[in-house]
Amino acid sequence: MSTIIEEIRAAYEPFGVAVEGVATYGTYYRLRCARCGAALGCIGDRLLPGMARELVDGEFDLYAAGLAGCACGHQAERARVIDAARAASAGQRFA
Amino acid sequence: MALSDVAEGIDQDEREAVLSRGGRERGAGRWPFWTRVYAQGDPLPDLSCKISRPDHSFDEGDELPDDYKALLMKMLRHEGERAGNKSFLGLMGTCIEVAETLAPNAEARLIKSEYLAEELKHAIMFHRIAVRLDPDFALRDVPYAHYAFHLPRETWVDDAFFHFLVDLNGAFHARDWRESSYVPLRKISRTVERDEFGHSEMGYYFLNAVCSERRGRALAQALLPKWYSAALDMFGRSDSPNTPKFIQWGLKGVGNSEIRTAYKEYADRKLAALGLDVPDERLGRRFL
Repeated sequence: MSTIIEEIRAAYEPFGVAVEGVATYGTYYRLRCARCGAALGCIGDRLLPGMARELVDGEFDLYAAGLAGCACGHQAERARVIDAARAASAGQRFA
Repeated sequence: MALSDVAEGIDQDEREAVLSRGGRERGAGRWPFWTRVYAQGDPLPDLSCKISRPDHSFDEGDELPDDYKALLMKMLRHEGERAGNKSFLGLMGTCIEVAETLAPNAEARLIKSEYLAEELKHAIMFHRIAVRLDPDFALRDVPYAHYAFHLPRETWVDDAFFHFLVDLNGAFHARDWRESSYVPLRKISRTVERDEFGHSEMGYYFLNAVCSERRGRALAQALLPKWYSAALDMFGRSDSPNTPKFIQWGLKGVGNSEIRTAYKEYADRKLAALGLDVPDERLGRRFL
């Protein structure tokens, strides 16, 4: 499963989400804010190849609008750095 | 265990709020979710077999044909809820973490604690079936193979969809076991079905609260395609070569396509009632 975990880490890294080591036995990993360390949720390592990037990119608007990600705002800030126009649009859409 | 013990770790203000609401009942008075629905009749569709097939019946301790046992073990591997399956316990661990991290209030955490207790009850029930079939298998770690059990849960809405849709899948499969040729499975089917249905209703209860507010509904609408496609994929390929064997041996009543269609009709009605637009059923699907 190491390949999938590397895919997951690479998908989350641009959004400032760290994928911790195994959170519970074997297959599940804790997601943390890379800035403040707050727990953000969890993910498992049986995703299909390529799925992690698709899922994380699919949540760009939610990170940008603050509907997902840390209360400290790190993921929203990262989304603005990645694509300011799209982030602004998402902010309006979910206002 | 007293509520005050259960509530250890909950902030003092929240604890007092729960107690003042009369939260001495299980799950803050809402658990179990299945009772009110089943009191009005069978909520799930008839999944009984409509084709002619041999009338098999095998009980605990019976000699099982090799093909039959292989299919039964395959079914139990997919089911996964066994006390000896460390990955199942790991999944339950994530449920505790998600509740601690994302639940909106103490009431929701109490409800989730009832959910966990009930899933662990299933782990005992399936362990007892497994250990009498094959003690080695009963202790084997079998991570859930389907990606639906591994999708990221980063919001409370993710967790609510996980329960509404994934536990509902479990309820439909347990409904299908009412006429199982394997007697121990048949015996527990009604308990497992109603419990899993209740877990789905729990998720729906959380979704209903989220969707009552405009921004919450927008979040649910945005996350729905991810969970909806996974939920439909969980029934497997419509042309799975094993399906006719499962049906002939009496381990399943209907094929993957048929049970998926029944599930979709049920789930679509519930989603529409939340004010959500149901995604195209082919969107994002991996297993058609």
